[in-house]
Amino acid sequence: MSPVGCRSYDAAAGPEGQTVSENPEWEKARQALASISKTQSATKTAQANRTTAQAGQFQPAVTESTAIQQQQQQQYYQQWYQQNQQQPYPGYTYPYNYYYPMAPGPVCPPSLPVMDDQSSSYPSQPQPPPPAAPQPPPQSPTSSEQPPPPPPPAIPPPPNSQYPLPPGQNSYNPMPYPNNDPNQMRGYNQGRPSYGQSYQTPNSYQQQQNNNQHQQQGQGQYGPGAGRGEANKNKNHQQQLPQQQQLWHRMKQAPGAGAMKFNIPKRPYVMTNQSFPPGEQPTGLAATPSSPAAAPAAPGGAQTRPQDWPQAMKEYVQRCFTACENEEDKDRTEKGLKEVLQKRLQDGSAYTIDWDREPLPELKAKQSRWEAVPTQRTLESSVGRGGATRGRGGGARLGHYRNVFSQRSPSSSSSGSSSRSPSPSHSRHRDRNGQRHRRRNMDDANSTVLGKKRKGGNAGLDFHDPHREAKKQSRAARFHNTKMRSEPLVLSINNLELPKEDLSWDDCPIVGTCQEITKIYLRLTCAPDPATVRPVSVLRKSLLAVKAHWKTRQDYPYACEQMKSIRQDLTVQGVRTEFTVEVYECHARIALEKGDHAEFNQCQMQLKALYKDNPSENIGEFTAYRLLYYIFTKNSGDITTELVYLTAALRADECVSHALSLRAAWALGNFHRFFQLYRRAPRMASYLIDKFVERERMIALRALFKTFRPDLPVEYVQSSLGFLCLDSCMAFLTGLGVTFFPSDPSKIDCKTSSASLAAS
Amino acid sequence: MAHITINQYLQQVYEAIDNHEGSFCAELLSFKHPHVANPRLQLASPEEKCQQVLEVPYDEMVAAHLRCTYAVSNHDFVEAYKCQTLVVQYPFGISGDYFGYIFSSLPIPEGFDDCRMIFQAEQQLLRKGKGKLGDMLEKAAEQLMGCFRVCASDNRAGIDDSKKWGMLFLINQLFKIYFKINKLHLCKPLIRAIDSSNLKDDYSMAQRVTYKYYVGRKAMFDSDYKPAEEYLSFSFQHCHRSSQRNKRMILIYLLPVKMLLGHMPNHQLLRKYDLMQFADVTKAVSEGNLLLLNEALAKHETFFIRCGIFLILEKLKIITYRNLFKKVYQLLKTHQLPLDAFLVALKMMQVEEVDIDEVQCILANLICEGHIKGYISHQHQKLVVSKANPFPLLSSSS
Repeated sequence: MSPVGCRSYDAAAGPEGQTVSENPEWEKARQALASISKTQSATKTAQANRTTAQAGQFQPAVTESTAIQQQQQQQYYQQWYQQNQQQPYPGYTYPYNYYYPMAPGPVCPPSLPVMDDQSSSYPSQPQPPPPAAPQPPPQSPTSSEQPPPPPPPAIPPPPNSQYPLPPGQNSYNPMPYPNNDPNQMRGYNQGRPSYGQSYQTPNSYQQQQNNNQHQQQGQGQYGPGAGRGEANKNKNHQQQLPQQQQLWHRMKQAPGAGAMKFNIPKRPYVMTNQSFPPGEQPTGLAATPSSPAAAPAAPGGAQTRPQDWPQAMKEYVQRCFTACENEEDKDRTEKGLKEVLQKRLQDGSAYTIDWDREPLPELKAKQSRWEAVPTQRTLESSVGRGGATRGRGGGARLGHYRNVFSQRSPSSSSSGSSSRSPSPSHSRHRDRNGQRHRRRNMDDANSTVLGKKRKGGNAGLDFHDPHREAKKQSRAARFHNTKMRSEPLVLSINNLELPKEDLSWDDCPIVGTCQEITKIYLRLTCAPDPATVRPVSVLRKSLLAVKAHWKTRQDYPYACEQMKSIRQDLTVQGVRTEFTVEVYECHARIALEKGDHAEFNQCQMQLKALYKDNPSENIGEFTAYRLLYYIFTKNSGDITTELVYLTAALRADECVSHALSLRAAWALGNFHRFFQLYRRAPRMASYLIDKFVERERMIALRALFKTFRPDLPVEYVQSSLGFLCLDSCMAFLTGLGVTFFPSDPSKIDCKTSSASLAAS
Repeated sequence: MAHITINQYLQQVYEAIDNHEGSFCAELLSFKHPHVANPRLQLASPEEKCQQVLEVPYDEMVAAHLRCTYAVSNHDFVEAYKCQTLVVQYPFGISGDYFGYIFSSLPIPEGFDDCRMIFQAEQQLLRKGKGKLGDMLEKAAEQLMGCFRVCASDNRAGIDDSKKWGMLFLINQLFKIYFKINKLHLCKPLIRAIDSSNLKDDYSMAQRVTYKYYVGRKAMFDSDYKPAEEYLSFSFQHCHRSSQRNKRMILIYLLPVKMLLGHMPNHQLLRKYDLMQFADVTKAVSEGNLLLLNEALAKHETFFIRCGIFLILEKLKIITYRNLFKKVYQLLKTHQLPLDAFLVALKMMQVEEVDIDEVQCILANLICEGHIKGYISHQHQKLVVSKANPFPLLSSSS
């Protein structure tokens, strides 16, 4: 890691509370200048062979900010190209074996040629690769030790740039998304395995850096307001600072004028940003050179200059942040503070109220508004922090994966350039750090390989869609509050309910002890009591008793109730035997005879299931009933299903074959045959046919009246439509308002009857 | 693709989500995609890896999907079904809004693309003696219906982002289930929803073909043959030429409908799609050969019943009667045809127990349906047919 980078960073993040600098921007710009030149010299000495080319690019980057964009790109690609070309340099071994431990030959080897292809094509094609394209993770775990990267990517390309850009949208801009995304924080924390080296411990670093983080997050978060150029991602902290310096340097046109003052007042600075909601400033354009007024500190005017803020208020802000437990809290606090402070500053109450007594309400309020599960959120972010170990430990590879992703996840467009631009210097410096670097490159290599694969399909699209970046930015905005999971993901599939009906009675069989022959049916509302349930032996007697009672008295309500209570006792005890079948068959017949549809259908349903295990001689009978019932409901789908399951043996059954013939006649409108079959219906089939015989008679009559001219004898109607006697036929016909010839009342006047039938 | 590592797979998913390439993402979650056969992705507990790479809703979704591939590879379809239900609930945003958008534009997750899995899961359950037939299907249908409601009620987003693009896909899946469990009446509101949708002509052709196929089948079962022919013809004509199997399936329903409307398929078509079962039927109907028709129907009864078209083909008997009687008329060359002549014809076709009353009945039906123009004089036992065009073209009648 570059000591230069560290030093400059430390300086920038230096102790607070020192004398307020007159021009922090200048100061930073000066630092950036200094650090960049140092970086160059440092890298030169370290790797002269490689940096010669890049140094040339760096220098104009310092002075000529408008051209930087392209140079960054080129630089980046060259860097890559070189890395791949010069494989055996110190501390770097090509890591495929590490990265693809299981990948067989076909997968691994292509990577190298692939990258060669790409890199060789880059110089002639300096466009930003699509996000899916291979790229080193722009945010490296060691970004903190980076020398200040090239200037910020916020600068729009020169007017003659070949990149088509939507107006007002700089496609190279890092996406200024609100940084309340824990992913980022997680990626950030986790992805820095080297904190322990550059700083004492991650924890101490974090404590120490808390304020800085706030600050920089704040800048990132209010990016749209404070200007895109500086609105780098919060995980970019370390790089961001120099970048900002660069930006300010550019904007203020005051390079290095100030003396070396490291005591930049951090806190007030934050508040400068915070006190301006994004909406108040021109978004997107803010950071462009054409609108220098958007420079971070400037826009608010003197009223809100941090230096002018009351000390109590600054302390209040500090308290707010100290109260935060994690990054999200801070983000939230920032938001809340921003609103409050701005209001106070505007109405002047900021100077009058007692800040010491001001409560710190924002945190709670925000939480309750934003989070369904605030506690979980806290957990999440703590995991995020702990993730640092994950990144370093056994799961290191994936941890790095995570890192790669997290950089791009919230706004993939940010990968456009800002996140990529620092990478050349990353790699250069990381070369000395054997393993870390290796891993990172593995990430790179991997993403390169995959990206290449993907690119094959739509590379052209990716490159030529001018609105791609813009679209992506807008889409990415939706995702700014995606979260990482707090706890290990557990698929909760076992909680899904599945059909559980069988849990019912088979699982907890009871045997009744009740000896009563008859029992009143009551719907069960609780677990059955064995004392009130009759065992099968008793139930047999009950069935006989009910049958006898039915035969002698035909008392359907009584019979039905008794049958239901028998059925209930059987169900409760899980009895599914021939006896059960007998009970249901008996009840079905009684219900059919009395036209009790509901009970009949219940019995039929149960019988269908029971027959699977307890074949009864009456299967045919009840199958036929089912078919007839489907004719009644005109359910051709169910009929077809039933036909599928009809075995040859079943088809031969008297009842079934009758039902099938009846169905065929019915389907073809062959009423003559239909009513013949009706009169020959076996067993209780005619009870079922009765349900729809009227309907069929009407249809038939219509056809007859329409067809026969001039007259139709009543006898023919009677015989065709299955009337048992002439009288019932006459009653039916007169009921329909059929007209007869006055001369011969035994003949129907078809023409007039047809009209009256159609009218009715 | 088939042999990528889990990390590569996850990265692809990640990038697909990140780049909002919904259709690619959907592919990666689809069971039609080759990655499901990749043993490296078939993990018993992919949760950790997914969690490490993907953001919150997606990690669970992808983990469930991978677990599902694992379950399928183990032929544990019940487990697979459970996983799959987890997968589906996400894209349609049962909870959140924002990730619903990802899948909104095109890419309805083909995650649930395979009702077969549900069917298999159900059969597995049934084999274990658990559950009732259709239970699981109905559960799945319920869940899909929930998704459908989410989609259908998305009035907020612009047309490009609208989840309404997901409606047709879901409807097609629901159709599959409803046809399977014979609940065709449940299709009605879905059809109405599409009919009233202004997107109905903008859905992808594949989905429209599927949709028309099912709507056509439903119309056929409702005996609305004209619309059925229209839908099924659309489906057949627009079905992708490489989907021969699908074209055959469409034909199985289109042929009977066409025949009922008087259009007979030629041999070439039947041979091309391996539907020679229809050959004899076609021949019998056009010849008015009732005997042959009965034989053909009996011979392929199982096939026809399994396709659910037996009852439709049976109705071809009416057409066959018409063609038979037309021959009688052409032989006798008179407009007053004795009913006995028809009785002789029917007896020649070995119709059992046929009598003069049944002849009158059959004739009455034909006249009533407009296949014969004329009337029956009961007194003279004659059929009096119209002098002009007594047997109108089938395609013009009804």
